Amino acid sequence: MSADTKFHVHHDSPEKIGRRERLGVRLLIVADGAFVFGMIFSYFYLRNLNVNNGWIPEGGHTFSASSGWVVVIPFIFAALMHRLAVRSGASFKNLSLLTLIVLVVGIVLQWKQISTMPFQVEGEEGMVFGYEGSYSSSWVLIAGANMFHYIITIFLALGLFIRARRAEVDPVLEKWRMATATSWFTWVAISGIACAITTSFI
Amino acid sequence: MSNEHYEMDPTPGEKLKAIFKQRDVQIATAWGVLVTFIFFIIGGWIYPSWMPTALSTDMKAIERLIVIFTWISAPICGIVLGFSIYTFMHRHKGDTPPADGPAIRSNPLVVGLWVIISSALCLVAVVYGLIEMNSATAATAENKTSALVVEVTGSQWVWSFNYPEQGFSSHELMLPVNRPVEFRITSVDVNHSFWPVQLGVKVDANRLQTTVVDTTPNKIGELEVKCAELCGLYHTYMETTGEVMSKADFDNWVTTQGGHTA
Amino acid sequence: MTTLDQHASVRPIPNPAKSLITKLNMGTGIIVGVIFAAATYFGLKDEDMLSMQQNSKVLLATMFMWSIGFMVGIGAFIGPVRWLIGKDLTDEEQLYLAGDGQGIKRYFKYCTDHKVVGIQYLVGVMTLLGVGGTMAMMIRTNLIQPGSQFVNPAVYNSLVGLHGITMIIAMIIVATGPFGNYIMPIMIGAADMAFPRLNALSWWVLFTAIPVLCSAWFLGGIPTGWTAYAPLSVQAGPGMNAFIATIIIFAVSTAVAGANITATVVAMRAKGMKWNRVPIFVIGATISVALAIPAFPTFMLSMIMTGLDRSFATTFFDANLGGSGWLYAHLFWIMGHPEVYVILIPGVAVLMEIAPVFVRKPLFSYNAAIAGFAGIAGLSILVWAHHMYISGWMPMLNGPFMVTTEMISVPTGLIFLVILGTLWRGRPWMKLPMLGVYAFLWNMLIGGITGLYLSDVPADNYLHGSMYVTAHFHYTLMGAALTGALAGLAYWFPKMTGRMLNERAGYISFWLTQIGFQILFLGMFIAGAEGQPRRVADYSVNFATSDLISTIGAYTIGLGMIILLWAVIHSWRHGKIAPMNPWGAKTLEWTVPYPVPLVNFDTPPVVTSDPYGYGKASN
Repeated sequence: MSADTKFHVHHDSPEKIGRRERLGVRLLIVADGAFVFGMIFSYFYLRNLNVNNGWIPEGGHTFSASSGWVVVIPFIFAALMHRLAVRSGASFKNLSLLTLIVLVVGIVLQWKQISTMPFQVEGEEGMVFGYEGSYSSSWVLIAGANMFHYIITIFLALGLFIRARRAEVDPVLEKWRMATATSWFTWVAISGIACAITTSFI
Repeated sequence: MSNEHYEMDPTPGEKLKAIFKQRDVQIATAWGVLVTFIFFIIGGWIYPSWMPTALSTDMKAIERLIVIFTWISAPICGIVLGFSIYTFMHRHKGDTPPADGPAIRSNPLVVGLWVIISSALCLVAVVYGLIEMNSATAATAENKTSALVVEVTGSQWVWSFNYPEQGFSSHELMLPVNRPVEFRITSVDVNHSFWPVQLGVKVDANRLQTTVVDTTPNKIGELEVKCAELCGLYHTYMETTGEVMSKADFDNWVTTQGGHTA
Repeated sequence: MTTLDQHASVRPIPNPAKSLITKLNMGTGIIVGVIFAAATYFGLKDEDMLSMQQNSKVLLATMFMWSIGFMVGIGAFIGPVRWLIGKDLTDEEQLYLAGDGQGIKRYFKYCTDHKVVGIQYLVGVMTLLGVGGTMAMMIRTNLIQPGSQFVNPAVYNSLVGLHGITMIIAMIIVATGPFGNYIMPIMIGAADMAFPRLNALSWWVLFTAIPVLCSAWFLGGIPTGWTAYAPLSVQAGPGMNAFIATIIIFAVSTAVAGANITATVVAMRAKGMKWNRVPIFVIGATISVALAIPAFPTFMLSMIMTGLDRSFATTFFDANLGGSGWLYAHLFWIMGHPEVYVILIPGVAVLMEIAPVFVRKPLFSYNAAIAGFAGIAGLSILVWAHHMYISGWMPMLNGPFMVTTEMISVPTGLIFLVILGTLWRGRPWMKLPMLGVYAFLWNMLIGGITGLYLSDVPADNYLHGSMYVTAHFHYTLMGAALTGALAGLAYWFPKMTGRMLNERAGYISFWLTQIGFQILFLGMFIAGAEGQPRRVADYSVNFATSDLISTIGAYTIGLGMIILLWAVIHSWRHGKIAPMNPWGAKTLEWTVPYPVPLVNFDTPPVVTSDPYGYGKASN
């Protein structure tokens, strides 16, 4: 349709594009960071306020803090493995598959964690009525955010895995993109650790 | 580039003098002085004339504070408007751009002076505000023992006042003059904001949480009580009246309401 | 990932005429969006719909699915999916996405050209301002005299909230949307934004929020004001879901646009454009969006919590079960106070860009201008709790927050200094944009000084939640920021439309708007000082005079705005053809012809000085 264009396709160097994309991703990480910070702030704020003793109301459940750490481990593994993969270059294809598998295990664990949380108050006929108190609410929110991180990260890992198998991609630019993805992998690991530390304070 | 003109002068003081010897600066300053004067006069009477009668020391302090803040900001208005007016009067009309003006890139002396003056005015405002806050806190501590306790409850869309000492409740806020009063404010549904206008006090009524505020009514007169936080459908109509009255009148009123006087 | 700068690759180019992207546009977006929304709604709907929880769940899901469906239908996910499967978009396809040679149609497509996005934003902003302004007229009509009952209290509360949020959204994008997208990349000598597809994404995501916001009307309105304080918002009717969904969608758009603009300015400047040669508007817009990047996610978080409280009965804001309305207030204002500077800074930066051109003098103290912006942005994240002096959350911290708040007056003072210094000893050319500079000086002065009273704890005890506050922030947001944006419209209109804005209509509109503005908010200052709370549908007789004054002022503004709208539409179609550089300015956008070529510059420009080289060499 636009075959007879006057447009000059001018190409920036892959380095320039790569640097720019890395900056963009880091800025989006800042936004995500503000969200995670807000969540952690809310957790501790409500915990210290303990309005009308409703942080964990009488008869309320607590949830094991270690389960918060279990779902972080795949993130940490994935981040390390991705770093290794970027460094190694040649063996990237295999390592990226491993990263992907670790993350899939992670998301399953995350799902299991959410589904076994004992926080929901049941009404008559097994209808879910609501949550026990602010502790349970904050926990669920943090778990949900972790889930979101898993979904995004798996999308990334899947893309990198598939692309590593295709010869058509520009190797220089692709290297930049893998490095850019490192920022994200590192960030989700850090955010996961921060959330796990947070939920360790019951 | 522009500084060369001033850099010939040796000391900042002399530079400053040189600035004020220039005719356009003098005219603009004259405008500025005029504007300052106008704001000073207006600020002195306009706010008190707008604001309702003060029935407590707190309200009186607020009134004084607003007047003083207006006076502090009068010179700022003077500087900004004086110079704006001067340049506006030398404007250029027509469809072609005017000739280029002088290439003044910056003037460290002016920038420095500006920062110092604005910081100083800001500091005055901060210190004055902190002093006023402090005296209010000190008064609170002093009043603690002798205060009349009123439990204020906001609900959609009505204010209730419980007098635990006297053992009764009312929907009108009656207070004896010259006795400190401690409001304990809460809400049963959404957030409201308790605002007895003439007392210069305003505190949110948070759902199931109690906030405390105190004041001393020192003048007899009518009170309006409003809600200052949007609280749903009839927020507008969530208001009631009251009165600051003499001790005898207050005791009388307590008796008619079925309470007991001390 | 970027459109125009895709690295060359050797592989057969598919004919984009057969590609899916050529078939998609706004129409397919709406169709898929509606299908998604309808499927969600009827899929989840059950006999339990009367319970508020179920109702909120279904409505929120429907609204988000509409937004996602629209983005699917317009082709927003083609790029990411093609990346995922390792078949990156070809040069041909990227060129097609940039709207090359597609005429008017490209405005209704997922077009990656920053100039198209700029125009889309401009039209979007004008629509939002029109809607918000109409609601303002209705509010003032209801307040024309005590007991007028033009609308009932339920509708009135809704009007107040929707006017607020519509205007806030419009004002956040009013300068960085149209000018930040259309003008800014040309100003820095770039061929396009850093991430053109994200640019299109930010606009179309925002677009999907507009019908969601409008649906609030049909779901019973929002009774909470734009601040949507919990627990009132948790208790509110189904219209509240529209508010929640709008904010969450809008926050996504803002984060994406913010990252995009910041990356563009950092990484895409022309050769030779060092940081001290960047036009001040670009600096201001960048600081503003960079401030928005961390600010809006907390607003999004507060809205997610409200949505969860409403639809899953979590207890973030329920004081009965350990929640607290203060938490909402904190999250809201941690975003909310930076956000007012997100609005203000670009407006001011536009005026700083305009002043040197019309006074024919360099910008006075470029460094002081940057220090002013940076100081405001830096302090603004430390002042949020001045909105909570009277909430009782922790009175002992009121003092520190008062100090930080009043400290903002120092960088704000620098902004005055820069503009006054630029005007000084020049002969200001009184064209429409220049008038805006003077209007700004007066309005921001009043807005700033009244802010001083409000920042002071004892005075705030009286003024908080009164009409005084309303008047104060309208002076800063409308009087200063909107004036700046309108001056920018008059200034850049020739570049964006190729035609001059009708001058006579512009002047009439300017004076009507500004005079009406002074009348309106003078009346409101009086009403506030007299003790009238804000957001009231009715008032007692002693406020009658001041409220009548306000309403008269409001109608004057309304008239002025209608004239401006006429001027914009008329000039866009029939205005005088503009020369390439009608104001004799020295920034790069005036070196390109209209219509601006797809890649802006035939040869990438090289910058050798800052754009303020006006004036005679000697003093």
